[in-house]
Amino acid sequence: MKIFVHSNFIKRLKAFIDRVSAAGEESGFGGFLAPESCLSNRAVLMGLFVIISPGAAADTKLLPEEFQLHGFMTQGFFHTSGNNVFGQSDDGISPGLTEIGINLNYQPWDRLRFAAQGLYRRAGDVDPGSVRLDYGLADFTLFEHENGKAGVRAGRLKIPYGLYNETRDVAFTHPTILLPQGIYFDRSRSLMLSADGGALYAEYRTDYGDFNFKLNAGMPSNELGEIKTVVLATNKAQGEFNTKPALAAQLSYELNGGEFIFAVSYMDLAFDYSPLPGETTFVGVPLTKSTTRIQPLLFSAQYNGENITLTGEYNYRWNNFGNFAQFGGGKFITESWYIEGSYRILPELQATVRYNTISIDKDDREGEGAELLGFPRHVAFAQDWVFGLRYDITPSWMVRAEYQLVHGTAWLPQADNPDPFKTRQDWDLYGLQFSFKF
Amino acid sequence: MHTITKPFSGYFFAIQFILYAFFVSNLTAAEIIVNSTVPFQDYSVQDARAIFTMHKRFWSNNKPIKVYVLSDNNLLHKDFIKKKLNMFPHQVRRAWDRMTYSGTGSAPVELDTEHEMIEKIANTPDSIGYLSSKPNNENIRSFELH
Repeated sequence: MKIFVHSNFIKRLKAFIDRVSAAGEESGFGGFLAPESCLSNRAVLMGLFVIISPGAAADTKLLPEEFQLHGFMTQGFFHTSGNNVFGQSDDGISPGLTEIGINLNYQPWDRLRFAAQGLYRRAGDVDPGSVRLDYGLADFTLFEHENGKAGVRAGRLKIPYGLYNETRDVAFTHPTILLPQGIYFDRSRSLMLSADGGALYAEYRTDYGDFNFKLNAGMPSNELGEIKTVVLATNKAQGEFNTKPALAAQLSYELNGGEFIFAVSYMDLAFDYSPLPGETTFVGVPLTKSTTRIQPLLFSAQYNGENITLTGEYNYRWNNFGNFAQFGGGKFITESWYIEGSYRILPELQATVRYNTISIDKDDREGEGAELLGFPRHVAFAQDWVFGLRYDITPSWMVRAEYQLVHGTAWLPQADNPDPFKTRQDWDLYGLQFSFKF
Repeated sequence: MHTITKPFSGYFFAIQFILYAFFVSNLTAAEIIVNSTVPFQDYSVQDARAIFTMHKRFWSNNKPIKVYVLSDNNLLHKDFIKKKLNMFPHQVRRAWDRMTYSGTGSAPVELDTEHEMIEKIANTPDSIGYLSSKPNNENIRSFELH
């Protein structure tokens, strides 16, 4: 068997380790790693390097070519006025968002492929740091035709939703630090990340464009603490969430090699909540055993020119929050959309402007219902303007900065802002992010 | 004297510029190449796109396609994507990254130099890549688009 590993990987990893080591030695890595842990992190990275590259230096042909190893590492810094994101960002700078992923792709036979990705993520008070299997799957090509193919996947699968959900944690694959939050909520990310189950997929290429269809069914994660306030109207609930089997479907159409992209995505998600005895909402109404069902429908469009990229997505979401049925409601429709324009000033320097809006209940855009439930009105909406700059230093190193002017707190993480009455309706967010990939 | 030399030097620079542009464009004019085992067939730009974006995975003889590329910031790579695939490098990168980091596919193997590309294509059955000019190697042939 030929032994080969793509030599760029070794070079980039080596450069990466050198930089991490240097940063660690000089500064304790800016608070990202405690000084005492620098040595061990360096040791881990060096260990990884040694494992992957025994006697590498001269010849980098190490792994069989059927194996592909890729990964990324992202560190974000945030400062806000008023509310907190990714830790204590108000009146300070929070280094609160760290994402590290490593994936392996293995193709033992022509039609069978295995792929898995491990993800470490630390996100302010929402997630103090955890490792999870992001995806782990077997992919079998059932049918391959001159103009297309069809197949099945099984295992833990990423959920196809909109333009970005499948790679939402990979900084390089989207233009700004924060994805449009009205659609790609960080709060409900555990529901949307990946699901354990199976999928059918089909691709068909024609002279008039390429069609791509995915149908996924599976069980999303049960870790729904971050959406307690939204679905239960309290952040103190300690009962148990249980997700039910979910469906996700996506049909996309790409013209001229992705110059124009159109997609429709639909999800059907549901979960039960079993309260502990005596639990109540903010305003003292007892919680009951209830089911919440969410069905978002998302339309996406993108134009990718040489220098200009224009993107728009429109989200229409049916909600049925069982816990609110006792108030004589619980059924409502959430509406969110954004438009975004990016311009490549240089091939490696991209400027982006975006306007994003969300109304949790499209028939109550001012938040009167939220007030009745014991919240400030501004939890019911958010409008934000985003201005961002992205610089791709090399194909594997990227830095970007952005400013957001936000009106409303609909997507503000609850764990970082435990008391909704201490949040501000109008606030600013500044972000800086470094990312590496191989 | 000055009034005479100025236009001359202008011409000189113009000619030099044209020669330079010609030289550079020649230097980076990409040619798609395949291993000699790849079946002869009428391939279109759409086929080439589908192959290099990793959507088309098998040749007509059912052998899996092995795709090799150079780094994103390599001039020949940029020229190849633009002139042979009629795409932009960022579109191709988007397609590869989406597959690589979502588990839905894999990216091509990235090589460092044209020399490595010659070695790879010559020694790997069913392989495809690109070079600035077709080398004189019996295991490598041009991949003509129709």
